[in-house]
Amino acid sequence: MTLKRTSLPWTWLGIAGVAALGATWYFAFPSYLSLGISLLLLAGWASAWDLLGGWTGQTSLGHAAFIGLGAYTVGVTATKFDLAPWWSFLLAAAFATVLAFLWGRLTFGLRGSYFVLSTIAVAEILRLVAINERKLTGGAIGLFIFDLKEPFGFDLFSRHTEFWLALGYLVIVLVVVALVTRGKLGYQMRAVREDESSAQAAGINPVAVKSWAFMLSGALTAIGGCIYGIFLSALQPQPMFELHLSVRIALVAIIGGRGTLFGPLIGAALLTLAAELFRNTFAEANLLIYGLLIVVVVLFVPRGLMGALRARAVRRRYAKSAGG
Amino acid sequence: MEGLAPFLQNLSGGLLIGGIYALIGVGLSLIFGVMRIINFAHGEFVAVGMYTAIVCFQLFGLDPYVSLLIAAPIGFLLGALLQRVVLARLIDASSDSTLLATLGLALVISNVLFLVFGAEPKSIYVPYATQTVTLGGVRLPVAQLTAGAITLVVILALWLLLTRTEFGRAVRATAQNRLGAELVGINTPRIHALVFGLGMALAMCAGVILAPLLFAVPTVGSSYTLKAFVVTVLGGLGSVPGAIGGGLLLGVVEFMGASYLSSGYRDAYGLFAFLIVLLVRPEGLFGRSVKRV
Repeated sequence: MTLKRTSLPWTWLGIAGVAALGATWYFAFPSYLSLGISLLLLAGWASAWDLLGGWTGQTSLGHAAFIGLGAYTVGVTATKFDLAPWWSFLLAAAFATVLAFLWGRLTFGLRGSYFVLSTIAVAEILRLVAINERKLTGGAIGLFIFDLKEPFGFDLFSRHTEFWLALGYLVIVLVVVALVTRGKLGYQMRAVREDESSAQAAGINPVAVKSWAFMLSGALTAIGGCIYGIFLSALQPQPMFELHLSVRIALVAIIGGRGTLFGPLIGAALLTLAAELFRNTFAEANLLIYGLLIVVVVLFVPRGLMGALRARAVRRRYAKSAGG
Repeated sequence: MEGLAPFLQNLSGGLLIGGIYALIGVGLSLIFGVMRIINFAHGEFVAVGMYTAIVCFQLFGLDPYVSLLIAAPIGFLLGALLQRVVLARLIDASSDSTLLATLGLALVISNVLFLVFGAEPKSIYVPYATQTVTLGGVRLPVAQLTAGAITLVVILALWLLLTRTEFGRAVRATAQNRLGAELVGINTPRIHALVFGLGMALAMCAGVILAPLLFAVPTVGSSYTLKAFVVTVLGGLGSVPGAIGGGLLLGVVEFMGASYLSSGYRDAYGLFAFLIVLLVRPEGLFGRSVKRV
């Protein structure tokens, strides 16, 4: 699709720019730290989602399953086993990888829309488990994280620590996405997205490629879920595993631009801003904006904002090189 | 004989609710079969049907089963309109685009319902809601029996429409091969609009039938979308008779699971069945083969 990819130094510069913008937010809007954390986490999830949904072309509407898994891993291990949060983060990533592996085994061998249907089902089953296994998860009332071990003396319940944690998370996700999509796996992922049969003819195993993308995407999402769990510190099955959260993550990435490094981030910023602006008009019906926007994007900007910008730049570059 | 009466009780309850699932699933399967669209807004139309029945009841005092005559045409027109305005533009786009478009429509519908009716649950009280008929030791609620009877009539009418009319023949032709159907002079864009309208009319009917049985909340739609997916995958994507079987099976599985295993997982049993079917027989219990990688 694109003739020449952005060169590597520009990518690192872009990610550094994101980090700098985040730091600016911290010092410029100290009273909007919670909003900043939500935005950074949403952007991180959407970028992680994009590894599978954008670069590999497998739309998932069940990524909330990983967020819930991450948050509950931190909650359960902290309250029941007194485990330090950094171990919980690793444990959550491991759980997510195993879940994604099994889930991929089940559905990636089938063509058609089976994967997307299964994602909703798996997330819903996990939500029902979280509601019903009261001994472990506190059921519908929820689980409360009262105290956590302090890594290097940082209080994890302070919004300041959480903000830096969320910013670090987003930067790590962006770096991973940048590295993976430039490597061999990244090319294989794109080949599978464009045409599975051709990819197979070129010696690529589509099931394995999709599984790798899913495991990476799931593990990264779960780590974001851990931070989300600490941020909320009261875990309930309702917002954690819900379809609406999965849908928001997917739509943010798609509106911003699937298969682009910064598209999901731009989508997250745009939709968080829109949700804040219309908060009073629509109250809790703010997903209305998501619904309207996705219809508009699907009809008129099918590649998303970033994808449309990139296509335009490529056209211009091509016209120049062709002497037109 | 001790266990037989409760067993029959569960079986009949499951079959009665399963009939309504079948009605929802049939529309989804019909749309998928003809248009190759996975309609994420399907359950939202069930919700719109419920609210239509509630509005008719509260404003005009209409019995919910009479408001079927109003809801079905509204669903048909709304569905055909949405198809013409949104989905017809995506006819050659990837299946992902149509899926996302219907997902967007679903969000718009459920949030508009929320803005109009608020979050508090609404219901209809009909005098026969608490009456039951006893049949060989099995107690059957009158409201559910009526619902089952109406479902049967609607599905029979659909079957006659699809197999005994020229329109039905054109629909089946379009489902089998769109290009071939066009070559023999079938106006397939028109068939697509009519089929989508028909599917939405069926979903609205299911909503109206459910209205006296359940509380309506604006978010009820997504759970019915999920049930419809389960029904159609159980029966085989795109197969209308399969969807009827899948619906009845889902109803029975939910009822049996809730009474013999654990009631908290009631909604999960269908999903487990769905995953098992994906694992061992992805073409559905009643479907033909599916393409594997």
